[in-house]
Amino acid sequence: MKRMIWFTTISILFMLFIMPAIMASLIKMTPADDQPGYGPRRLSIYGINELSQKFISKEKNLTAIGTTVKNPNLKNKKEVVLDLYDANSNLIRKSILNGFNIGDGDFVKFVFDAIPDSQNKEYSLTLSSPTAAADEIIEVFLMDNTANGIIEYTFAEETHQGGIPMVTFHKPENKWEIIKEVYSNWLSKLLSPHSRKTE
Amino acid sequence: MKKLLLIAIVLRLLVSAFLFHPDIKTYNFQASFLKKGVVNIYSYLITNKATLPLKDEFVYFPLTYFILGGYQMVTSGILGSGFDSWLADAGAGSVVNNPNIFKYLAILKFPYLILDIGIAFLLLNYFKDRKKGEKAFILWLFNPFTILIIYAFSNIDIFSVLLTLIAFLFIKREKLWKASVFLGLACCFKLYPLLFIPFLFLKGKDLKEKILVSLIPIFILGAVILPFWSPAFVQSALISGLTTRIFNPGFSIGFGESIIVGFFILSALFFYGWLTDKKNNLFNYWTVFLLLIFSFSHFHVAWLLWIAPFMVILAIKKPSLSLPIFILSALAIAIPMFYQDRSMTISLFRIYTTWYDLLPTPFVVLQKLYDPYNFMSVLHSTLAGGSLIISYYILKNQEES
Repeated sequence: MKRMIWFTTISILFMLFIMPAIMASLIKMTPADDQPGYGPRRLSIYGINELSQKFISKEKNLTAIGTTVKNPNLKNKKEVVLDLYDANSNLIRKSILNGFNIGDGDFVKFVFDAIPDSQNKEYSLTLSSPTAAADEIIEVFLMDNTANGIIEYTFAEETHQGGIPMVTFHKPENKWEIIKEVYSNWLSKLLSPHSRKTE
Repeated sequence: MKKLLLIAIVLRLLVSAFLFHPDIKTYNFQASFLKKGVVNIYSYLITNKATLPLKDEFVYFPLTYFILGGYQMVTSGILGSGFDSWLADAGAGSVVNNPNIFKYLAILKFPYLILDIGIAFLLLNYFKDRKKGEKAFILWLFNPFTILIIYAFSNIDIFSVLLTLIAFLFIKREKLWKASVFLGLACCFKLYPLLFIPFLFLKGKDLKEKILVSLIPIFILGAVILPFWSPAFVQSALISGLTTRIFNPGFSIGFGESIIVGFFILSALFFYGWLTDKKNNLFNYWTVFLLLIFSFSHFHVAWLLWIAPFMVILAIKKPSLSLPIFILSALAIAIPMFYQDRSMTISLFRIYTTWYDLLPTPFVVLQKLYDPYNFMSVLHSTLAGGSLIISYYILKNQEES
């Protein structure tokens, strides 16, 4: 019985206090922000209909860009391409996914090699599905505000404020950085005066 | 003992506060309408679906609604004014980032702690031999399985489990009337205790008692659910996927007919008890029935709690079964962890950080190495094989004794 007491106590404490660190160590990239809210407005992307968007990376080691993508009736099985340009319009990264792997309404991440000095720099992305026909569209949502460093988007040669509700992801310097961040986030919530007092 | 009880309570409070399964928020959001005077939650949710932030139906029985809603009324002073807006918050991130979440979860799961400790004390008094009772008490309090099932998954089935155990203790003392009342009350939270009625029927001394003890639970259940009987109730709670899933597995015998495994097991045990066993040891039948049900159905992790007190009793009665029971329990709890459902594993930890949303589930990780469905089938087949032998062992020893 003693063994069972020890086993249970240790396994529960391990699950609550050590397991979060192990899980944190498996995280390969972290988001700069939460995904901003968006409405029902959408743009269809196929063939030459591509979307360009300017944004500022808030952190260093930019390694992925994520947004919500619709693939109506899962018809798009063609390449979906994200090109990333620097402020001088030089193509610096390219990420290609296959529409076959994109569900309707999935949050899709375009991953590329990390850009070490990305902090506070302006970039421009282009999202396209060049070989898709009109009945193989993918759709992206639109918002007007400039959250998450989003500046403006261009579609059909028209430029507007806002863009797709995107999130930038950044490669951490090391595992410890993430583990520290996870525990400090948890402790700050736990020790927050709001978590103890009755409102 | 007191020190152990204290440690057990601390462990439970920690799991309560730090692990979050979204179900607890959903059914407490629904139960919060009792404060606003809503009596028939089933039709209310369907009528107001368009305007409600959470669209789920209330899948539990009316007594659950009144108990949870009533508890919220009593604790509203401690929960604070922000509680209702937290319940109604549909944002996946904001819900777990609310600094009050620890308090909310600890308070919402507190009734489970009372019932859980209640089960421990029932087990303490189950055996005539005090030492065996103490072993059962400790084994209930110190096994990681029930702690996880009750507090991590916010398992509301504990109401039925406690009442079923009380019913069983009355059966042990030959008080079948009281047992049938408690079984009826248990059915008002979850339907599964209804499946024990055939065995209660066997236990009756004469036909009159057999019929009465079988009908009492049905009358109690009827009295509680009939005022709410409506298409909304039937659809949401009575024939919901979770309620009927237990009878889904079956195999075709042609021409549209099939053998339903759950009923097959129930019938086989009933006739076995009727024809071969004059003592009718209901512990054996309930335990064997549940063991075989879990072996042959795609069970919800919460269901494992139904059998947990009986497994503790069995492990104490037959110490040679302790290790096999431990291994089968670990297998049983491992199977749902490989479901595609994130809230079975990674999402439980979202209070620590929502970055865990970036991690793949065990299903996805396994998918890179092997077919996860095959893997789950291997686990489930092992569970079924082991359960079958334990069932045989229980029934064989019954014959010998």
